[in-house]
Amino acid sequence: MGFEGKVALVTGAGTGIGKGVAVALGRQGAKVAVNYIVDPAAAEDTVRQIVDAGGEATSVLADVSLPEQVANMVGLVVDVYGGIDILVNNAARQPNLSLLEYDEATYDAVMAVNCMGYWLMIQAVVPSMKARGGGRIINISSVHGKRPTDFDVVYAMSKGGIKMLSREAAIELARYQITVNVIEPGAVRVGAKSGNPRPIVPPGLAPEIRRQDAHSKFPLGRVGQPEDIAHVVAFLASAESEYITGAAIRADGGSMLL
Amino acid sequence: MKLRGQVALISDGEAESGRAIARKLLTAGSRVVINVAPTADVESLKAAFGPAEKERGEVLWTQYGLIHTADVEDLWKEVLTHWRRVDVLVHNSQLVRPVSVEDCDPRLYQELMDVNVKSAFLLTQAFGRQAETNSGRIIYVSTIHDQKPSGSSFVYSVAKGALAMLAREAALDLGRRGVSVNVIEMGPVEGDDVRFASSLSDVYTAYRFKVPSAVLGTYEDLAHVVWFLALPESRFLNGASIRLDGGFHLHYMNHKMKRE
Repeated sequence: MGFEGKVALVTGAGTGIGKGVAVALGRQGAKVAVNYIVDPAAAEDTVRQIVDAGGEATSVLADVSLPEQVANMVGLVVDVYGGIDILVNNAARQPNLSLLEYDEATYDAVMAVNCMGYWLMIQAVVPSMKARGGGRIINISSVHGKRPTDFDVVYAMSKGGIKMLSREAAIELARYQITVNVIEPGAVRVGAKSGNPRPIVPPGLAPEIRRQDAHSKFPLGRVGQPEDIAHVVAFLASAESEYITGAAIRADGGSMLL
Repeated sequence: MKLRGQVALISDGEAESGRAIARKLLTAGSRVVINVAPTADVESLKAAFGPAEKERGEVLWTQYGLIHTADVEDLWKEVLTHWRRVDVLVHNSQLVRPVSVEDCDPRLYQELMDVNVKSAFLLTQAFGRQAETNSGRIIYVSTIHDQKPSGSSFVYSVAKGALAMLAREAALDLGRRGVSVNVIEMGPVEGDDVRFASSLSDVYTAYRFKVPSAVLGTYEDLAHVVWFLALPESRFLNGASIRLDGGFHLHYMNHKMKRE
């Protein structure tokens, strides 16, 4: 239980990696604000898992791409829990469209949530972190901040942007003892993702080929779980990690090596 | 004259760098489309472009915004009507503004992202939509700040970080159709100490001497690498980032600078 007295805000925490992160921080003693946008029941399930483990959590609705909603959400969390120590930027859209399939509105929407939303969240939590003498900002990126996806060009662009957002924010916010780091997950097995209207692999490809393909891409022999990423978040959020900033930790089972 | 018969489209005639690239490609025999912003004074830009165009080759000046699909489609239509093809796309749009993570206004963030990277995305789509495309070059002029934080203009860095991934994605997607897509990470030129003045990072303090040779880059240096990437012989370069900074990015020991 490393996070007693700490408050964490996790965006996109109703499902997938965000849910795993929120639950892990909550179980380790943090009060957790569970942000969601589409599925209140999923966010409530995250809250329930934390409360069942003896922790404290609340769900908060906001579209992270809208400055007003971000400000309102952060204001609410500060009112309820007294401040924010840990921000985990995780909410992302991934429509799985190729270069020529993207229309302008979808481009704008993906960049707004995945890239601008990360910045808006950082900007909004800085005053509270400053007031508390420091903070931890952890941006969930992807191996696709470096390696192209070959299935969603704008998703990769947004992750490339997050790389530089994190480095710039790290040097700007260092004077407040706020650290900013990146985690680059590879493939992570999650439930049905709300932002994922289309499968990455075309329906024509047989499932066993998909499985073989996936297996052959992970030296550690398996796809990641949300808990794998949550461990790294907890490490970066811990007091002991105060000297790490502007760094990126790839957590992908070695997949980037193949 | 190795680019004879080709048509190159350059995104920004307002910038001296864009015009330097245009001059170089014209000299190599290419026909050149120079786009400028709808608000720009084209006549004075043409004057700034230098000697009579007919001495250099053919130039088409166009005036379109590049941050909406409809405008980019109109630009493409005009170019195809005029020359029926685009072989080389050079995206060189650079908008640098001092902004901080703490204080930046969301509208300014959006403008900086649109000019610096969305325009590249839309132009790349337009290039890829040419039905007959089975060859071509896309060259994004970027910056060392797609890797190194500037400490002064975070949105510019974010945009160019995104641009780097657009290049890698397009290198695969359009690469299957014979198009290669590469990035030039431009380093310091005269004036960058003002453009990137920072209270957080001393990277541009005495910046000339942080280039090991103590010589800053020029737009002619940039134009030379654009030309190189456009050459037919450069066909196997795809998805690459070429750092063009005289070694500036590698510097960190101030006491070893050439001057001091």
